[in-house]
Amino acid sequence: MSLDVQSRQTDGGVTVLAPSGRLDVSGAPTLKDAISEAVKNGKPRLVIDLEGVSFVDSTGLGSVIAALKLVRSSKGDLRLAAPNQQVRVVLELTTLDRVFPYYATVEEALTGF
Amino acid sequence: MYSLTTPRSKKRSLASDPDPGAAEPFEFHATLSRLDDGLDTLHHSVDLLRERTGRPAEDRSLILFETALAEIGSNVLIYTGRHGASGHPVEYALRLERETATASFTDWGPPIHNQLTRAMPAPTSEAGRGIAIARKALDELGYKREGEVNTWRLVKRL
Repeated sequence: MSLDVQSRQTDGGVTVLAPSGRLDVSGAPTLKDAISEAVKNGKPRLVIDLEGVSFVDSTGLGSVIAALKLVRSSKGDLRLAAPNQQVRVVLELTTLDRVFPYYATVEEALTGF
Repeated sequence: MYSLTTPRSKKRSLASDPDPGAAEPFEFHATLSRLDDGLDTLHHSVDLLRERTGRPAEDRSLILFETALAEIGSNVLIYTGRHGASGHPVEYALRLERETATASFTDWGPPIHNQLTRAMPAPTSEAGRGIAIARKALDELGYKREGEVNTWRLVKRL
């Protein structure tokens, strides 16, 4: 199963990346490429909409951590939205839920961002 | 390539069955070689297990089992491919017995003893979580090296 990533820009200048499929060892490079593209111009504010992600593994998590580091090194920020139960369990298992507070919906993630 | 051993004719709701694992053994066997196809097969086998047990997608025990299975499975497939052992496909088996799911991988890759006790890395680390996640997610994670062969055993009480 391949990972597809859709990108859109909100009126407020936030980039929303929406991967769909499995964010795993096979799919993570696709998200990494999309993130690199999104942070090219200026101070990035990114929301990763996880609603279409059916499954995440440690490599997929690594790509999100890499994204956070990249965005923050550019004085920007990143928010996660709409993770399913498996993604939430893995964030909790790895204690990364303390690093990535997530939002139930993209709209919530965009509020005040 | 995979095969499934399960008496479909006796299918019924397992939610009210006091001992469904004993009544309806579930076995799934496959040989895995390519990473993408191999991972598809692993997830498919858990989908079948989920269907058989009547558990919802949000069931935490099965989520933990599937997460560990994908971590160990991808490690095995990547290492066997990287070290030229891909001529020997990985043998995978999954069974459900008395509400306990047990998976095994047999492969001809290099030994990996030095990775087994790896702790969960710092939150800022981008790699090195796979086996630590599997250990936390499972009730038992076994590994043995016999001759040129690695055998993994993953156990989760559902």
